[in-house]
Amino acid sequence: MNLTLKIWRQKDKATPGQFETIEAKDISPDMSFLEMLDVVSEEAQKKGFEPTAFDHDCREGICGMCSLVINGVPHGPEAATTTCQLHMRKFKDGDNIVIEPWRAAAFPVLRDLVVDRSAFDHIQQKGGFVSINTGGTPDGNAIPIAKQEADLAMDAASCIGCGACVAACKNASAMLFVAAKVSQYAHLPQGQAERSRRVLAMVEQHDAEGFGSCTNFGECEAVCPKEISVRVIAEMNRDYLRATLVGTNS
Amino acid sequence: MEDAVSQPPPGVGKVIARMHGSTIGQKALMAVSGLLLVGFVFGHMLGHLQMFGPNAREHYNAYAHFLQSLGELLWVMRLTLLAAVILHIVSAVQVTLRNKAARPIQYANVKWIKATFASRAMRQTGVILLLFILWHLLRFTIMSAAATGFTGPEVPLKPGSTELVPDVYGRMVFAFNNRPGITLTYVGCVGLLGVHLSHGIQSALQTLGVLNAAYRPLLKKVGPALGGLVFVGFASVPLAILAGFIK
Repeated sequence: MNLTLKIWRQKDKATPGQFETIEAKDISPDMSFLEMLDVVSEEAQKKGFEPTAFDHDCREGICGMCSLVINGVPHGPEAATTTCQLHMRKFKDGDNIVIEPWRAAAFPVLRDLVVDRSAFDHIQQKGGFVSINTGGTPDGNAIPIAKQEADLAMDAASCIGCGACVAACKNASAMLFVAAKVSQYAHLPQGQAERSRRVLAMVEQHDAEGFGSCTNFGECEAVCPKEISVRVIAEMNRDYLRATLVGTNS
Repeated sequence: MEDAVSQPPPGVGKVIARMHGSTIGQKALMAVSGLLLVGFVFGHMLGHLQMFGPNAREHYNAYAHFLQSLGELLWVMRLTLLAAVILHIVSAVQVTLRNKAARPIQYANVKWIKATFASRAMRQTGVILLLFILWHLLRFTIMSAAATGFTGPEVPLKPGSTELVPDVYGRMVFAFNNRPGITLTYVGCVGLLGVHLSHGIQSALQTLGVLNAAYRPLLKKVGPALGGLVFVGFASVPLAILAGFIK
C-alpha cells in the first residue's frame, strides 16, 4: 500500500518545527506503524535525507516508550493499543496520515516526534513508591487483600507512563497518570502509611511541571492503551481533598 | 518521604493555598460553588412550577410574599448565591488560564472520541448564562415594573383576605404573554442551562470524588437527566403562558 504522511519535523527544542509531506511506498499491511516509519527512514537515509526521529523501545506494547498522535488520536485509531502494536492493515491504500508529537508545555519536543517526558519521572520521584519494608517475596502473600481491592490496584498499576492521557487531554493534564500511580497504592495496605503525603506531593509536582487540570472530558481513558478508567481520578481527588482538609489517612 | 500513619490537620494558610492554587483545589471550589447553584436552580424551578395547577395565582403570590417576608434571611441567601457565582467565575478563569498555558502549541488535527458537546461548550454556555442571569435579574428583581411594564393592582393574599400583596403571578403572565421573542430567548437560555448542567453536575461529582466505581455508570446518566429536567421545568412556564394555557 502507498500512503502520504504529513510528519512534524523539528530540528531541536529551540527551533520552530513544521510539517513535512513524505510519500511512503510499498508498505505491507502486516507492518506495525513503527516498522512503516522504519522503512520510510531507511528510504530517506538512502537518498541522503535526515530520517524522522521517534521514540520506541520494546515494541511489545508494554514499555510506554512509543508515542505519536496519529490523525488526531494518541497511539492512533485502534482502541487500547500502543503505536507499536498498531498495524498498517488498519489503514487504507492512498490514506493521508498526519503524525504529530505529544503536545504539552510539560513535554517539550526534543526532535521531530520525540518529546521529553521527564516530567513524569519528577512526579514519580515525589511519591510513586512505598518506602516501608515490605519483606521478601513470600511476605507478599502473608497479608490478605480482598480480590476486589487487588484488582482495582492492579488495574491502576497497569499504567505504562506513555503520556497518551496528557496528549489527548485538551488541557494537557496528567491527572490520569498521577491518579493511576496514587490509586494503585491507595488500594493496598502497604500504601496506607504514606497515602496522604503521596497524593499531596505528587499533585503538587504535577502542577509545578505545568500540566493542566482535569475538566472531565474523558478523552484520556478513551486513548489509554491500558484502558485505565477515570475512576482513579475520582479516587485521587477524594484523597487529595481529604488530605488537604482533614490531614489524616483514615 | 517520611513515614506518617497520620498527619495533623494542615493550617488554615496551607488549606487556602492548596484549595486556591492547585489544579484539584480550583476544580473542587468550582464544583462546590456549582453544586450550590444547582441547588438554587432546583428550588427556583420548583417555585415557578407553582404557576401550574388550581388556585395557581394564590399559591404563587403567597410563595413570592413568603420569600419577600424572609427579610434578613433573604439577603443571606442572596449574598451566599452571589459569593457562589463569584467563586464559580473566579475558579473558571483560573482553570482556563492554567489549561491554556499547559498546551501552548495546538494539534493540527484533533479528533474527539468521547468528549460530549456539553463538556466542550462549558465556557461558552457559562458566559451566555452569566449574561442571561444579569438580564433576568434586571427584568424580574431589580427593576421589574419598569422592565416588564406591568402595572396590575395588588391582589388579596387569600380569597376574601384583606391583606394585599403584589400580583407576581399577573406580572409573570404579562412578561411572557404575546411576547414570542422574549419567551423563545428564555427557552433558549434555559436550554443552555440544561446543557451546562448535563456536564456540570456529573463533572462536579467526579471532581469531588464523592462516588466510587460502582456508581460511575449511574453518575454518567445523572448529569444529563437532571439537565433535561431543569430545561423542561423552566421552559414549561413561559411556553405555557405564550400558548395561553396559563393566563
